[in-house]
Amino acid sequence: MLARNAESLYWIGRYVERADDTARILDVSVHQLLEDATVDPDATSRQLLAVLGIKPPAGADQFDVFSLTELVAYNKENPSSIVSSVNSARENTRGAREVVSTEMWECLNAMWNAVAERQTYARTMGPHAFFSFVEERAAMFAGLADSTMSRDDGWRFLVLGRSVERVDMIVRLLLARVGDKASSPGWVTVLRSAGAHDTYLRTYRGALDASRVVQFLLLDRLFPRSVFHALRQAESCLEQLENQPSVRVGARAEALRLLGKARSELEFLRPHDLLDDLPKRLAALQKTVREVGEAVSQQYFHVAPWVAWTNTEVG
Amino acid sequence: MWTMERRAPTSGLRRSRTVTTPRLGELFNGYLNTERPHAGAYDEMFSTDNGVRSAYRALYESVAPSQVNELNARSEALGRAFVDQGITFSLSGQERPFPLDLIPRIITAAEWSKLEKGIVQRVRALEMFLADIYGDAQIVRDGVLPRRLITSCEHFHREAAGIIPPNGVRIHVSGVDLVRDEQGTFRVLEDNLRCPSGVSYVMENRRTMARVFPDLFARHRVRAVGDYAVHLLRALRNAAAPNAADPNVVVLTPGLGNSAYFEHSLLARQMGVELVEGRDLFCRDNFVYLRTTEGERQVDVIYRRIDDDYLDPVHFRPDSVLGIAGLVNAARAGNVVVANAVGNGVADDKLVYTYLPEILQYYLGEKPLLPNVDTFRCWLSDERAHVLDKLDELVVKPVEGSGGYGIVFGPDATVRELNSLRKRIKNNPRGWIAQPVVQLSTVPTKVGDKLAPRHVDLRPFAVNDGNFIFVLPGGLTRVALPEGSLIVNSSQGGGSKDTWVLAAKSSTQERELAEPGLAGPSDMEVAAAEQGPELTTSQQQQQQQ
Amino acid sequence: MSWRVRVVHTTGYRYEAPVVQSYNEARLTPRGDRKQNVVVSRVETTPATRAYRYTDYWGTEVTSFDLHAPHKELQVVASSVVETSAEIEPVTTGTWGDVRAENIVDRYTEFLEPTLYTPRHRELLAVARDLKKGQSPSGAVLAASQWVSEQLTYQPGSTGVHSSAVDAWHERKGVCQDFAHLTLVLLRGMGIPSRYVSGYLHTKKDGALRETVRGESHAWIEAWTGGWWGYDPTNAIPVGPRHVWVALGRDYADVAPLKGIYSGGAATALEVTVDITRLA
Repeated sequence: MLARNAESLYWIGRYVERADDTARILDVSVHQLLEDATVDPDATSRQLLAVLGIKPPAGADQFDVFSLTELVAYNKENPSSIVSSVNSARENTRGAREVVSTEMWECLNAMWNAVAERQTYARTMGPHAFFSFVEERAAMFAGLADSTMSRDDGWRFLVLGRSVERVDMIVRLLLARVGDKASSPGWVTVLRSAGAHDTYLRTYRGALDASRVVQFLLLDRLFPRSVFHALRQAESCLEQLENQPSVRVGARAEALRLLGKARSELEFLRPHDLLDDLPKRLAALQKTVREVGEAVSQQYFHVAPWVAWTNTEVG
Repeated sequence: MWTMERRAPTSGLRRSRTVTTPRLGELFNGYLNTERPHAGAYDEMFSTDNGVRSAYRALYESVAPSQVNELNARSEALGRAFVDQGITFSLSGQERPFPLDLIPRIITAAEWSKLEKGIVQRVRALEMFLADIYGDAQIVRDGVLPRRLITSCEHFHREAAGIIPPNGVRIHVSGVDLVRDEQGTFRVLEDNLRCPSGVSYVMENRRTMARVFPDLFARHRVRAVGDYAVHLLRALRNAAAPNAADPNVVVLTPGLGNSAYFEHSLLARQMGVELVEGRDLFCRDNFVYLRTTEGERQVDVIYRRIDDDYLDPVHFRPDSVLGIAGLVNAARAGNVVVANAVGNGVADDKLVYTYLPEILQYYLGEKPLLPNVDTFRCWLSDERAHVLDKLDELVVKPVEGSGGYGIVFGPDATVRELNSLRKRIKNNPRGWIAQPVVQLSTVPTKVGDKLAPRHVDLRPFAVNDGNFIFVLPGGLTRVALPEGSLIVNSSQGGGSKDTWVLAAKSSTQERELAEPGLAGPSDMEVAAAEQGPELTTSQQQQQQQ
Repeated sequence: MSWRVRVVHTTGYRYEAPVVQSYNEARLTPRGDRKQNVVVSRVETTPATRAYRYTDYWGTEVTSFDLHAPHKELQVVASSVVETSAEIEPVTTGTWGDVRAENIVDRYTEFLEPTLYTPRHRELLAVARDLKKGQSPSGAVLAASQWVSEQLTYQPGSTGVHSSAVDAWHERKGVCQDFAHLTLVLLRGMGIPSRYVSGYLHTKKDGALRETVRGESHAWIEAWTGGWWGYDPTNAIPVGPRHVWVALGRDYADVAPLKGIYSGGAATALEVTVDITRLA
């Protein structure tokens, strides 16, 4: 397929997932701030911003629920905000209309059109309304992609993007809690953010502790939002993409190698060793995500930037 | 007030050939007011004796009794449908929907048949003209046209000399701008042979109208426009060099920022081909390749929606970042086909347009089936003298202009504007033509809570596949929304209307309306859908405990 | 009598940084016609490329080629062996009436209109009027050429590729390109269809056989005075066996020997050399 479209699909996958995950993370944090009077809103907010990789604007005052939501959800200047992710997803789709279905386009376009109105509504009715709107639309988009896209390379790039972003977001989510005590209620927050609470409870019969939560989110083979599952999914997309007769040797397999390495490290890890050097492990996963992105881009998205021509004339 | 409005419709009452004077519904209140600035224009719904023309009768009968709020609701539904689908054009970087009016414009089968023949005739002659001009220029050698007419044309591209398209077609797609004068005669205002745009609105207007007004379509036999892309794809595939067994066709767009991006994307999707930007393609040794995830893939036909000037920095603007370096020579070598061809602008130059009768006579030995609008050529001294004399009565147009830019309406211009125009004409007589003000025909258009007459034009689209010139039944009807305005361009605040060409009874068009379907389910044995196990009553009762 | 000469023209660019993409067109192939016979001709590039040849609107043979591997220098060598024409006499049959006849004016409209290099210029129009007084059209061509060769001093480097006739006239110096452009301005001002010719000049009047001289790219004009004929205003001499013609057009822009586009840093022109050897 056209390299530029492949790149767009990959980024559509990433941006939609990012909007979804950011909404989930923020939703849970906002609830925690509102429900638990013991937490320090400013410190918690700053911790969340750090996890999301968002630099607080210079001279930012004490953060509270509302200024946090403003920055992470609505701020157009902040490239990681939910609104920015929605914009980017829609813009990428607009430029790749012929490789996404009309249904997917209209889903994102309607979402984009509704953002302003939903934002106004959420300002009076509370931010949860906005988060659930984003989550619903993202779910609808995933459903439409699932039911309207051929399982061709385009699909693979979309799922690849989604999976890579998912690994990144789950890792960020865990990074936010690495300092917590094993029995901290913060771990429930993590599960809620990941949409994993119900599944976790059913899997572990209600027993809640840090080691199991981390185990579930990192290693579970069946839960689709676990890092392991997302890595496996990304790997399988790349394997199928790779399986082209015209593909030659070279640095091409780099992304696959990186993913396989990360996946197998998790796969053969003794579960009780998990908590020991968790921060290091999470940092390594983040690095992998970044490198995979670069390798994929080098391998598939040979999109030339605009070429600036110089004209010459001699006798 | 009441009597005034009564009088307007009745004053013109003579023996009506069509129907008796309508008791105009509330919506049409004041429509036939003779004081309106549209006086003298041909109204497409109402005849001069205020009868409803037969083509519009069914429409009138459905619409006239409507309530205002119903019409408002439907109008809103039209607008919303466009925004949801992202059907927009960009104007100075902003995405806007192109307003669609809810009253369609109707063309009868007989009128259409004349238009269709006239358009086909023009395209045939202009194809021969282009082939000639970029070849031996026999028409010039024979003294039929002055050579100066051609060589002084800004869009005569010497770079295109000697490029011979494999199937001879240069005008794969054309859009002919037509207006209807005060007598109701369709006249050609200009030809668009480079990158005519607007066909996406023809298709989307229809799709949206059919959703919002299913009942109207049930009462009319409207010819379909949805298969345009099939014709376009066939024309593009036919254009490929004969050795390309399964030609790879792409649509080339300047990018997201272009005002017609939506159209480029729609056409690519409907044809099932890639929509590419210049940077997705490159030339090597006079072949054009597409950058794909699997490496490079050769391209055979490029349906480009980029102007010649930006197409190839080797031959045209070297600062172009939209084009593909080396494309012109790749086309010359016969390894790729550029559609529409490079240099077509020489044939839609507004001065060359005035020589169309000569061109038709020379190549086809025929008289024009569709008349031009009377035009004065400022480069001929006697006609220029007339123009300069009557400047305040004429519409003066730059020959290179498009999109309505640069046009001066003499009657509306200030003395200062006219003086400046006079100077510009004297400095560059080749650059200007002038036409009498044509009161374009009017069609009822929703303005606030009323239907009021607004001026319209018509741009039908023709596709030449080398064997057959197909004219899409209908075309884009653009409507000037401000009262009395004659400028219909979308960039100047125009809207559009769905354009209905009615099918003739018992004709070949019948087939397109009643295409045979696949075998219906009634022909087959179909089992009822399976159901899951039903909960028994006792279960349900217990569950409610 | 005509000569047989070999011309080897070397030109090209050097780039500051390696260039990956470049697209070029060379107009370096002498033309064959009734007056001049091309025995052999080829254009070679370093790095090697696959060239594509076509004939452009003006009838010039164009060699087009593109490069896709990194290179810091592009060299183009055009070599040909040509039998040149005998000295060309002015065509004196045309009267002013013939020159101004409507069909001639229309047929040669492109050679009468001003261009970027040969703009309309009030003072030069007045000069043209003076020069043509009492002259036949062909006499006026000679007078204009003579006037230009007296007005301008030949000085390489005094003007650039993009200087117009008027620029050169203000400087009162120029190279062959400027001499030709200035003459064209005058001739077109008189209403005489006239065109720009590019080619080469053997620098020695009685060129010795087998002796290779450092020649130059050259330019002169052709005028229509009942028929086309050439004259060399730079040297104020008739076009003859020392002239090898390559291309003609309205002005330099139509015949530029090597032009193209590339992406990358700055480029400087290689030293252009033209070696001419009289073979017979």
